[in-house]
Amino acid sequence: MNWSLVQIGLWLLAGVVSFYFSLGNARVWTSISLGFFLVLIGEMIPQAIPFLPGMDIPQVEAMGLIIGTISIMVMTHGFQEYYVFSRTLELEGNKLYVYLATIGVIVGSLVFILINPTPDFDTLRIIKVVSLSNWVFLSLINIDMIRKIYINVKDSPIGKGFLIFMLVFVCIFLWKGSELYIRVYDLDFLAKEYPFRYDFSLLVSNVGNVLASISVGGAFLYLARQLR
Amino acid sequence: MILLPRGIPVKEKVDPAKVNLPEALKKLKESGFSGYLRFDTPQGVGIVIFEQGKLISALFEGERHVLIAYDALARLFELALAGSCTLDIFRLSNELAMSIHALLHGEVLYRGQELKLIDIKALLGQFKSDQLSGCLRIYTAEHVALIFYRDGNPLGFFHDGSTEIETTPGTSMSVARLPGAKIDVLSSKGNDVSVMADLMQSADIGKLWQKAQEQRQRLQKQEQEEASRTQGFAEQERRQRLVALLRSTAERHVGKIGGSLVDKEFERSLAAGLTEAGFTTFFDNLGKAAKLVAGPTAVNTMLDEMKRGVRGMAKAG
Repeated sequence: MNWSLVQIGLWLLAGVVSFYFSLGNARVWTSISLGFFLVLIGEMIPQAIPFLPGMDIPQVEAMGLIIGTISIMVMTHGFQEYYVFSRTLELEGNKLYVYLATIGVIVGSLVFILINPTPDFDTLRIIKVVSLSNWVFLSLINIDMIRKIYINVKDSPIGKGFLIFMLVFVCIFLWKGSELYIRVYDLDFLAKEYPFRYDFSLLVSNVGNVLASISVGGAFLYLARQLR
Repeated sequence: MILLPRGIPVKEKVDPAKVNLPEALKKLKESGFSGYLRFDTPQGVGIVIFEQGKLISALFEGERHVLIAYDALARLFELALAGSCTLDIFRLSNELAMSIHALLHGEVLYRGQELKLIDIKALLGQFKSDQLSGCLRIYTAEHVALIFYRDGNPLGFFHDGSTEIETTPGTSMSVARLPGAKIDVLSSKGNDVSVMADLMQSADIGKLWQKAQEQRQRLQKQEQEEASRTQGFAEQERRQRLVALLRSTAERHVGKIGGSLVDKEFERSLAAGLTEAGFTTFFDNLGKAAKLVAGPTAVNTMLDEMKRGVRGMAKAG
């Protein structure tokens, strides 16, 4: 089964829905939806490597991994802001700053990659491990933070939307966690010695990826309907 | 109730709160005024008698107590400054002024007797035999007449509009013929002019007035504070009812967080007062915040319902 095309397709849908959602709604949703949109870019680059010319350039591959890291950080920042709002009922800032700050971080990362030596295989592997570690750690943080948000807004029209986001991060945790497991133990190189562990981890990663993309799209469609 | 016939009116229905009473009394003194000042207040009636410019008597008869001299003056000053008081000034002859003084401070032997039930001849015979000095006061609701006696002999008559004791019954006796006429019998203790002191000379009327003014100011301040407190309580209660209404509406449309948003925004926009500008800011900010947890349809419905509720409360007062 070719997971890549399915995953790219689903993330494309989820990314479009979330970006569209970020444009039409309140400022507090901008970071969250922009973060999920960046997952699309972070996913597309590595998945497109076998298909598109130039995608195998190490700097491009490194940027794909870094954008993936930026995406989880941006959406975590968004949920953190929503949590603060649900506790203090205070909200500051505006949408433009969120877009500009995100672009600024991406440009800064690109400059960092360009002014340093071309990343070799080991460097890319380390960047990947750092990215996955961030995803795993921040997914757990987000599950807890979203649980707290849900408690504060559970009887509001969008309350159930946060339950879907919890499901999203559970899926992301499985996806990124199993990928991290493979990288940390080099199971991709030791697949012959540990076929079950590798195959099972890969399956969990792929299923988690697919379910995450579906639940992200579903969460934003549900919110869009509730906030209509 | 002090019943005295009206002499010649000098001033009638004056509001003493608008008059500097010590100054007015001083003018009466300087002009050698004889007559009396009548203060009608909700708390009682006060009479101040002048005889040839001397303030010889002050009496205040309340529902439960009678004050004389300086106490009466002080009380009259207080009541005059408090408002709801009318002042009438009537001119009398010197002799009549003294007679009225003696009458006011004398003893009431009979009060409010139906005239038609009295054997008036027998009563006058008793006056003569007992050699009483005093007065028969004959009155109806509208008119009063006095018949003065000294040592059992009739001295003269006094009725509404006369300035001195008259020797003919005339109007005085016509009161006795009016339906429902009543009679009081009063004995006086004598009225020796030589012993009558001038209250204005023996006391500082200005100080009494100043004290009354100070007390009035204190009372006014207390009343204002009380009114302010009452108004404050009413305002607080109104705010509480309003917040409860807004909270329940918000919770119905956007959940519990809506109630919290109302509390916060109410404190921020309407803490200074329930003004139209404050409400505009309140609804704008609440609308923006509520759109983080609900869609525009739910938020607009909530705001419309709140505005109707606020208008309803404003109409109900």
